Amino acid sequence: MKQTRPTFAERLKEKYLTRSTYLSMTTVIVMFVAWEFVTATGLANKLFLPAPEAVWRAFIKAIVSGYQGNTLQTHVGVSLLRILVAFFAAVLVGIPLGILMGLNRDARALLSPIIEFYRPLPPLGLYTLLVMWLGIGEESKFALLFLAGLPGIIITTTQAIWSIPPIYARAAQALGAGSWDLIRHVYLPAAGPTILAGMRISLGFIYTVLVAAEIVAATAGIGWMIWDAAKFLLSDVVIMGLIVLGLTGVALDMAMRKIGDWLMPWEAKTKQ
Amino acid sequence: MKMSILGLVSALALTTSAVAQEAPEEITIGYLNLVNAQLVTKNLGLVQKYMPGVEINYIKVGGGGDMLRAIAADQIDFGGLGNPPTAIGVARGLPIRGTMVLNMLDFVEAMVVRTDKEIKSFADLEGMTIAAPFGSTTHYLLLQALADEGIDPASMKILDLRPNDIALAWSRGDIDAAWFWEPNLDKTVVDGGNIFMTSGIMAQRGYPTWDVGVVMNEFAEKYPDYVELFIKAECEGIDYWINNPAETAAIIAEELELSLPDATRMMRGTGMVPCSEQLTGLYMGTEEDAGGFVDTLIATSDFLVSQDRLPESPSRETFEDFLVSTWLENVVAGE
Repeated sequence: MKQTRPTFAERLKEKYLTRSTYLSMTTVIVMFVAWEFVTATGLANKLFLPAPEAVWRAFIKAIVSGYQGNTLQTHVGVSLLRILVAFFAAVLVGIPLGILMGLNRDARALLSPIIEFYRPLPPLGLYTLLVMWLGIGEESKFALLFLAGLPGIIITTTQAIWSIPPIYARAAQALGAGSWDLIRHVYLPAAGPTILAGMRISLGFIYTVLVAAEIVAATAGIGWMIWDAAKFLLSDVVIMGLIVLGLTGVALDMAMRKIGDWLMPWEAKTKQ
Repeated sequence: MKMSILGLVSALALTTSAVAQEAPEEITIGYLNLVNAQLVTKNLGLVQKYMPGVEINYIKVGGGGDMLRAIAADQIDFGGLGNPPTAIGVARGLPIRGTMVLNMLDFVEAMVVRTDKEIKSFADLEGMTIAAPFGSTTHYLLLQALADEGIDPASMKILDLRPNDIALAWSRGDIDAAWFWEPNLDKTVVDGGNIFMTSGIMAQRGYPTWDVGVVMNEFAEKYPDYVELFIKAECEGIDYWINNPAETAAIIAEELELSLPDATRMMRGTGMVPCSEQLTGLYMGTEEDAGGFVDTLIATSDFLVSQDRLPESPSRETFEDFLVSTWLENVVAGE
């Protein structure tokens, strides 16, 4: 039988309208209907769970006239900038450190006590100290987000490098590879998928401390908006803010997966 | 299954015993971290005295915003709120009622400015960094004062910080001015600051600020007698404050870990109103004839609406319903 190339529409359908997509959409719709139901029937207290319409109105209002001096776009922009700067800094510091720790037992022994110690500390406790050292400005916020993102990357990178079969490196060395060639052509490609997973986890951790970071002396940012609205019991703004924050997180995660597929096409192939 | 039946049985047993005794097993009192007679009541164990057999829990709450959250999360039975958080809570339909005057705010809440910044008027604040706990009495007064002087708040940087964070930021030099309250206020005054404006002066300008005692509706419906017992204990604390200033200062010093002179000064900055006087027109008023607190709450909520912090102002009736003088009247009549 002659095989025909699938048309663009067919490829699109095959790629996006999968069984998983339908199931995920079902979850979203069920949650939305349940939300609508409990608020419309009065089962939920409006103060704690406002109706979807109220949240939508809060969303439109925040876009058009803003929340406390800044539009929603500005709040999201300010927060995303904080998140991305901290994330890239964590990646730039974390991956080299992870590679070093994965390759060198001594480096691992030297550095792991620091990482293992501060990693489980609650962000708010750590933040008090950071504010004392760095003040109430952007520096302490950046430091908190950076420190939240760092361990995930270091630990997964270390693990990924460490578990690469030594035979790979030896084979490359036998063909005359130097240490830079090893890193570029053996270690990074082999460890790439795990490092990417670590980066995604690390971005998640940065998100979890965003509100905490913006509690102290921020005047803009989506986390600050949520915190401030909670103080004035504006639960529609709180829920709207959380949804927007969540969606930006999903979007960033998808972007990272796309970049991963592009950088590591062999990995994308094996998944299919 | 077995577990849930057991749970149900014990829950039933609890409800029936509660009805039989008509006494709560425990009560939780959220008190604001400021200088008022609630510290005396707490220190002398007066609530316990009137409620033998009831477990009394005290929770220290940093400010009005946190108190609102504690109320919304149903974590306390009794609490205290300044007029702005009260207006917010009532407007948003929190299930609470106002019971009594906890304190009138004088120079215990004040605006401190860095001495070397030469701030002589509100206009001098332009370009400066000012901190206040958002949603609290002092944040309200700061914005009110700026509005009165016709100064755009956007011409300065106004930051939301909690009182202890203000003291920290002040010691680092991150802020130029702050409007907040004792016991943290003093830390900034001794560290290169001076008082520029007080909440007492703002009261004379027509913007009184105060803290009102609140009770959760559910508790008040279930145990009305215990609401009166609680008020009785607090009234005794207020009387003690008025009649025994020296002993009170010692208690404040102990509770807030202050020196005696500091405690004495902070005490003078707080206005205590004897319970019988609270029923007059300036304060709570009576159940038939509501007092000035209703006007303050209306003015406060109108202001918050103008600041886009509240969707709309509640009606006068809503605030009159919120302030319940009956319990206080019973307590005063029984004295």
